[in-house]
Amino acid sequence: MSRVRSNRTLQVLDAVTLLANVVGSGLIVGLVALITADVAGRNLLGAPVSGVPEIVSLSIVAIVFLQAPEALRAGRLTRSDGLINILKARMPSIATWLETLFDLVGVAVVGAIFYAHWPILTRAWERNDFVGAVGNFTAPTWPVKAMLAVGAMLLALQFAARILRRHLRDTV
Amino acid sequence: MTPFEIGLIALALMGLLVLLGMHVPIALIACSFVGVWAIKGSPLLASKMLGLAANDAISSYFFGVVPLFVLMGFLVSESGMGRDAFDVANAMFRRIKGGLGIGTIAANTIFAAITGISIASAAVFTKIAVPELRRHGYTPRFSVGVVAGSSVLGMLIPPSLLLILYGLLTEQSIGDLFVAGIGPGLLLAVLFGAGTVMMAHFAPRMVGENLGQSSDDLSSRQLLAKGLPITGLILVVLGGIYAGFFTPVEAGAIGTVGALLIGLLKRTLSAQGLWRVLVETGLVTAAVCFLIIAAQMYSRMLSFSGLPGSFGEMVATAELGLYGLILIYVLIVILFGMILDSSSIMLILVPLMLPVIVPMGVDLVWFGIITVIAVEIGLLTPPFGISVYVIKSTLGSDDIKLSDIFIGAAPFACMMLICLAAVILVPTIATGLLGR
Repeated sequence: MSRVRSNRTLQVLDAVTLLANVVGSGLIVGLVALITADVAGRNLLGAPVSGVPEIVSLSIVAIVFLQAPEALRAGRLTRSDGLINILKARMPSIATWLETLFDLVGVAVVGAIFYAHWPILTRAWERNDFVGAVGNFTAPTWPVKAMLAVGAMLLALQFAARILRRHLRDTV
Repeated sequence: MTPFEIGLIALALMGLLVLLGMHVPIALIACSFVGVWAIKGSPLLASKMLGLAANDAISSYFFGVVPLFVLMGFLVSESGMGRDAFDVANAMFRRIKGGLGIGTIAANTIFAAITGISIASAAVFTKIAVPELRRHGYTPRFSVGVVAGSSVLGMLIPPSLLLILYGLLTEQSIGDLFVAGIGPGLLLAVLFGAGTVMMAHFAPRMVGENLGQSSDDLSSRQLLAKGLPITGLILVVLGGIYAGFFTPVEAGAIGTVGALLIGLLKRTLSAQGLWRVLVETGLVTAAVCFLIIAAQMYSRMLSFSGLPGSFGEMVATAELGLYGLILIYVLIVILFGMILDSSSIMLILVPLMLPVIVPMGVDLVWFGIITVIAVEIGLLTPPFGISVYVIKSTLGSDDIKLSDIFIGAAPFACMMLICLAAVILVPTIATGLLGR
């Protein structure tokens, strides 16, 4: 167990993952504040905040990708663990192989998402893509695309970290 | 191989991987990727599909409801409003035999009107109600059973995370779905209550031989102090949506601020509590929305394969009729419920069923309510009923076994089946309030 804790690479990865999680939580608080300001402004002062729907639809993507790595690390990503728990008790080595295989698939598909997302990010940056209407409210899309890239990368790394953690634990 | 066969194989592979314990979204994404690759013959195209879906699938204003309603629900739990609802409901039902059981159900009904997650209800009421029930002579099995049973009300009575998901998936109005959930939710609550009274009278060995009453009577002032905040919050959130003051997304934000203010005024919300709630909200949102993204990729793969279309033709030529089809569907949903969590089931099965039932002219709101009830039955059935596991882990003691909770919840699962049958045969229970 101590080798799992003292591994520097894992420590750094977990710290960055936690940071992404905190940024995501901050975005949720930001959404609450922004929408409340809009509703209050519209109904009490007759002055709505512009661009709220655009900001909500952009930030929800960022929230999900920034928080997914921590959800995986905390064991909160949806899975049905009934059968594998039985396997772990009866045939631990097969269960370990299966877990490793599953985590490798995780690395592969999230890696594929990252690979396909990269050109989308660079294009948004180069063309300076935005949402909203000029003159009223505009927001660039690249920050959210960048957060998606960061989140996907962390998620792939966390899948890899699951394999490393299991390995370190088993060899203690 | 035809695209149809590829689709079928991808589906079977996905089922196998999920059953073996691969993370559900990863299984969905992997099989969609391989499926599209095999159908279109290009891994590049398949990965492009993944990239686009990751960017677009949830990039819509309406998905804002997910974190906001989850946050509101957790804030309501953290600020102790579940305890208040329980006290008020008990004061109302204390003279009836089995009153504490009914009180638990009523409190869950009230609590359900402000939270959208069954699991939150299950966790909160395991802590509040189970010790109280056992102290007053209820059997351990009944105590946990009534909590497990009534926790499902959280997903039926608006606001409900499952109805929100269904609405996003099928492009139905979330407001309409919420209204349609009220009738069946109340029917289920009444069924649960009547069932509890009947069990207390006719099968006292199941419920408890010597049932005591909750001793402390509340003065009307205390009742008001405990009842008003939660009632007010429900009125603001649900009333605000229907009066047209705000969209469901805005209602979630306003409700969150309301719950926060109540918690701060009651001094039940600590800084650590607030932080815990915020982190928890993020994790639930990420898990649910990541699943939605994966399900979008999966349904794009399905439409490439033409599977739902051919499936629809097969159903049409089999001449099952609407009721036959619904019956099979409900059976499959309940079976899935034994191994999967509610949102996964919905996101996997609904895209497959939608092209089949839309040509039959089925009311999609009604279909959504049926889906939610059927999915929730699965939460109570062995081997992997999620609500039951939440209760077990919240209890944290070993004197109540997992099997006890399943046995205790069984009568409630049966009552849910009755409710489901009623809604299938009499759609007005769900859609009546919509004037359909």
